[in-house]
Amino acid sequence: MDKGLVTLIGMSIAYLASLLGMGFAYWAWRRHHRRADRKEEAR
Amino acid sequence: MSNFTALDWFWTGAFLLLMLGGAFFFYRLARRSESDFFLAGRGLPWWLPASSVFSTHTATDTPMWVTGVIYAHGLRGLWYTFFAAWTAVASFVSARIFRRSLAYTQAEWQVIRFDGLGAELLRGWMAGWQVFMNMFILGWVGMAMGKVGNLAFDWPIWVGLVIPTVLTAIYTMAAGYWGVVMGDFLQGIVAVFAIVLVSLVGVYAVGGPGELTGRLVEMGEAWRLDPLAFTGWLTGDFPVAWWLTMLVIAVVGGFGMGTSIDWYVEAQRIQSAKSVRDASYGLWAGGALTLVRNGFWAAGILGFFVMLPGLTSVGEYELGWFRIGFGLLPTGLVGVFFGAILAIHLSTISSHLNLGALYFTRDLFQRYLKPDADERTLVWVGRAATLVLLVGSFFYGLMMEEITQWLIFALWLMMAGIWLPNILQVVWWRFNAWGYLSAWMANLGVAWLVVWILPGFGVIPVLPDYVQFWVLMGLGALIFVPATLLMPAEGMDHLVKYYVMTRPLGWWGPVHREAERRGLVVRRAATPANESRRPLIRRSWTPEAAEEWTREDWIAIILSPLVFALVMVGVAKLVLGQWGGAWLTLLAVAGTLVIYWVIDPKLRAVSHEYEAKQAGYLDELEGNLQWED
Repeated sequence: MDKGLVTLIGMSIAYLASLLGMGFAYWAWRRHHRRADRKEEAR
Repeated sequence: MSNFTALDWFWTGAFLLLMLGGAFFFYRLARRSESDFFLAGRGLPWWLPASSVFSTHTATDTPMWVTGVIYAHGLRGLWYTFFAAWTAVASFVSARIFRRSLAYTQAEWQVIRFDGLGAELLRGWMAGWQVFMNMFILGWVGMAMGKVGNLAFDWPIWVGLVIPTVLTAIYTMAAGYWGVVMGDFLQGIVAVFAIVLVSLVGVYAVGGPGELTGRLVEMGEAWRLDPLAFTGWLTGDFPVAWWLTMLVIAVVGGFGMGTSIDWYVEAQRIQSAKSVRDASYGLWAGGALTLVRNGFWAAGILGFFVMLPGLTSVGEYELGWFRIGFGLLPTGLVGVFFGAILAIHLSTISSHLNLGALYFTRDLFQRYLKPDADERTLVWVGRAATLVLLVGSFFYGLMMEEITQWLIFALWLMMAGIWLPNILQVVWWRFNAWGYLSAWMANLGVAWLVVWILPGFGVIPVLPDYVQFWVLMGLGALIFVPATLLMPAEGMDHLVKYYVMTRPLGWWGPVHREAERRGLVVRRAATPANESRRPLIRRSWTPEAAEEWTREDWIAIILSPLVFALVMVGVAKLVLGQWGGAWLTLLAVAGTLVIYWVIDPKLRAVSHEYEAKQAGYLDELEGNLQWED
């Protein structure tokens, strides 16, 4: 396989894993803040 | 292997049983809690993390890599292995700061150091990166074991990849980090014995140290005995500029966190130590032993070079150390040697299985999915994650070998772009989460441009490695510095909390003054009268005074990498029968004693003061994990 292509595949997997983790973080952050906002409004 | 007898199999089996049995012994401790499963309850004396640091720095592919650089470069190749010297400075700077943060992982540290959404995104980013990295490293070292099994026994590659890894996974799932660290201790002893033995065999196989050096002179290869055999300032395959770059990466990198790929593994060892002092000594001793190891290896590999000087293929000569062991050791000792190879392999595999599982369990599962999970659930999630990593590593090892090889290089380049931000996050209060995140993102594009795309289209020439490093660092800075300054600093409340907890080194003036104003740190009593009474080296400390960074710290920070360099070159020369090596080694021993004499009273005071507050900080950490902040 071409050196450039295999590096592209390998690095893409690495960055995909990181982006997935970051997406997960964003989702949890939003969920937590919405909950906090709802509690605030209920008061 | 033709000369592998029943006696050899006996020794291999005995070592395997000892290592696996020793690790299983701690099953009951590991299942108690998440802290036990991943950090051995944060209660280890310094020598256990030290042996684990050494073992994790000695991976299955390390003998191949070290053999490769020494065979190609002679003793100057030792400087390639000097990257482990980041531990010299880190022991007295970043290890101390990280241990005080109490973060389980580097990802968790991000939300202690930074604040808000940026910090959270960084945590997720780093957790994803580390789960992937550990899986990838497992596949990579598994393949190295596959090659060794193929060389020694003509086994198909998959046998070496799968069987030892599965055995390791069983005890890692059962005994967690307790199994890892206890296994590392036993494996470290076996590995040191084999490395010293085989290196000496390599030297004496050509007639001893005198004969070896004499033959090198006769062959016109005497330069291989000179660790400073440069090919010019900027030219040739070992210019001064490259050497200096490697020194800067290693030594200055010790001020940061994550400047070496090994940091993430050692961060777990740092956190498992029972005190700040134990964390510092554990990292230091493990790093020093790694460089002593390199010295022995280098001498043995020069012996291999004299025996077989004409090898031009990397694939042929990188197995040199294994060829000495399997080819020259007598019956019985070959089994011990193979046991040691298994020891090296098992310790690497177990470390990365447990570390990858830690990032998944703590940073992804517990933080984002189930913050209120009980300890039993967390231990089981840790075990399940270990299993997933195991299966993923087979995928990498068997299906993607070629990709993995190139990725090693690609990841090195990635490190170039975030090297400086990794330091700034520790030493500069104004550096923020957005700056750090932008550095990670920018690095991908910049590395591609500089290394492949622009040279590919003939826009720029293919740059030497050291030039690539500085260019990538500079281009990265053009992005992360404006990003940092355009975004606001982290909230002062958050920074003060972090500052008081970890007391970082560097440019933290505004935060320190705010902490003083709030009465959270004692006002610096630097009156001229007090300073004039201060002894040159202070050996009696109040808790408040010990919290400050003083000349005692700087003495340790400066002497430590010098000691590492002296012992690495000194041991190699000593084994080669050169008296200069004895002097260098003695100087290294003297330097070590001076460091201990200077820094130990201060580390004791810092540890004593901090351990009194630790329980409170731990409660806060768990509260933050459950979004109580």
